[in-house]
Amino acid sequence: MMPGRIGHLPISSENPLGLSWHDSAWIPSLNPSNIMDYFSERSNPFFDRTCNNEVVKMQRLSMDQLQNMTGLEYVLLHVQEPILYVIRKQHRHSINQTIPLADYYIIAGIVYQAPDLASVLNSRLLSAVHHLQNSFEETMSYSKYHPSKGYWWDFKTNKSGPFNLGQSAPKEVPSAPKEEPSTLFQRQRVDMLLAELVRQFPLPVTQTAANQNGVNVKSENTNDKNSEKASDGNNMNNITIKQEPVDPISSEMTNGNMQGHMEIKTEIKQENMKPPPEKKPRAL
Amino acid sequence: MEEPTLRYEKIDFLGEGQFATVYKARDVKTDKIVAVKKIKIGSRMEARDGINRTALREIKLLQELQHINLIGLLDVFGQKSNVSLVFDFMDTDLEIIVKDSNIVLTPGNVKAYTIMTLKGLEYLHQNWILHRDLKPNNLLINREGILKIGDFGLAKAFGSPTRINTHQVVTRWYRSPELLFGARQYGTGVDMWAVGCILAELLLRVPFLPGETDLDQLSRIFQVFGTPTEEIWPGMKSLTDYVQYKQFPAQELRHIFSAASDDLIQLLESLLSLYPPRRCDCTQALQMPYFSNKPAPSAGAKLPMPTFLFKMESEKPSLKRKLMDNIDGGSLAKKLLQF
Repeated sequence: MMPGRIGHLPISSENPLGLSWHDSAWIPSLNPSNIMDYFSERSNPFFDRTCNNEVVKMQRLSMDQLQNMTGLEYVLLHVQEPILYVIRKQHRHSINQTIPLADYYIIAGIVYQAPDLASVLNSRLLSAVHHLQNSFEETMSYSKYHPSKGYWWDFKTNKSGPFNLGQSAPKEVPSAPKEEPSTLFQRQRVDMLLAELVRQFPLPVTQTAANQNGVNVKSENTNDKNSEKASDGNNMNNITIKQEPVDPISSEMTNGNMQGHMEIKTEIKQENMKPPPEKKPRAL
Repeated sequence: MEEPTLRYEKIDFLGEGQFATVYKARDVKTDKIVAVKKIKIGSRMEARDGINRTALREIKLLQELQHINLIGLLDVFGQKSNVSLVFDFMDTDLEIIVKDSNIVLTPGNVKAYTIMTLKGLEYLHQNWILHRDLKPNNLLINREGILKIGDFGLAKAFGSPTRINTHQVVTRWYRSPELLFGARQYGTGVDMWAVGCILAELLLRVPFLPGETDLDQLSRIFQVFGTPTEEIWPGMKSLTDYVQYKQFPAQELRHIFSAASDDLIQLLESLLSLYPPRRCDCTQALQMPYFSNKPAPSAGAKLPMPTFLFKMESEKPSLKRKLMDNIDGGSLAKKLLQF
């Protein structure tokens, strides 16, 4: 709307999936009765302060009035004390009819936006394709050609050349499936979501089967994707500078892919935890 | 003399105040519902100057003014020694709506009320008239959702550079800082400040600056907007009733009006500028982005009505109270005006 006013704002508002927010002053005292107040803190980038909740709050009316209004509202969807809260952003058309827009989960006081299924699938497809492409490029470097002999594979000479490129890609591919199976919970949740979607938008039987296959493949790569997605999101949020070194390192490190991944994850978390004070001005 | 009284058929008694009695009546000629305000002749003392001053102001000004957002004076007639004023009949007023906790005022509703107020006031100011008593109670609303500015008991022509006005106008909560400092020469800014306070009240549903005394009123204003310096408000210290106040820091309006959009905050800041010349006038206000941005103002039929209006068709306590206020001269300000 106002380009150039705050440089990072439009980008981060385009993809909030890489964002997280917390206010450490609140975290020790969070409970189901104040979680909505926590979520409606001004600095929370996920909270749209023109929503009906804020209108009702500002006018000092009872929150029951929300039912009678139309428009944007937030509701506490799920509580799993003391660690997890899920808040839903929805558009209310009438007392009985609402359309969910987004879910946010608060784990240990840190707020994240739950990704929609499309971006999960997209990012997993993207990373699958990325690895495939890497392996093709890798393979290409081993192929040799001579006018008299034709084509042949040469695995010996090349090893010294594109060493880094060569080793990271193939090793990551085989090791990834071993160490990164999705949890039972994740698989069941995604299956559940898909089943629900299929119920809402019925498809020919063959296609639903294909969908489910796709999911299994993807959910196996969960961790991989998560880290990638997080880094994507962070790129957009300007936290890139910290994050980008992480990826090359992990891909270059041939030993202990598992550790490498763990490191990525923890580093993301730390970065997410540090910036909020800086993020505040941006979020506004 | 008998004709006019036959023209208006009394339906209901609405209220009685110090200076007048108000009836709901049907205009036989047009079959319209009207409010008839019968001015009491009063005591010998009051009758000495002729007709009551506020009634005279209303007759004088309103019969020349015609705008959808101003209360219409339809007729004036005399009967024996009484004078009666015939007005548009209005179902409720903004104060009732603000106080009704069953009503949620959506951003669109707030915008609609503000636009109608500013349009009516713009017309007034273009005709060189200051209302000088804007408050939610004087913004009347009918069941079509049309807002009309009422009660011209304090209204006065302005613009003559030599004229000295009294500063004891406007109900205290809506009184601008220059009036509170005793300014005798002022302009449209006093009405604009009041509009700002009314808009703030629509958002908060409680009076924005409910001062208990004139001094307290100023201190509440400065607690929100910061104590002005001579730089912010040149000439402030030369005002008659100027008093030095403690230095308060200014607060962020966006923190007070947490659900207000940025364009609305911008309008509020402009309406509630401490230095009167910096306040926008109605025309400028109506051209601000708030009024052209989404959400659109609610259509008249979609504006909320107090629930009791439809439950008890016969009784109209809102209007009764409202008109009694008019008649009484209600506020301290008005009483002081009877110099």
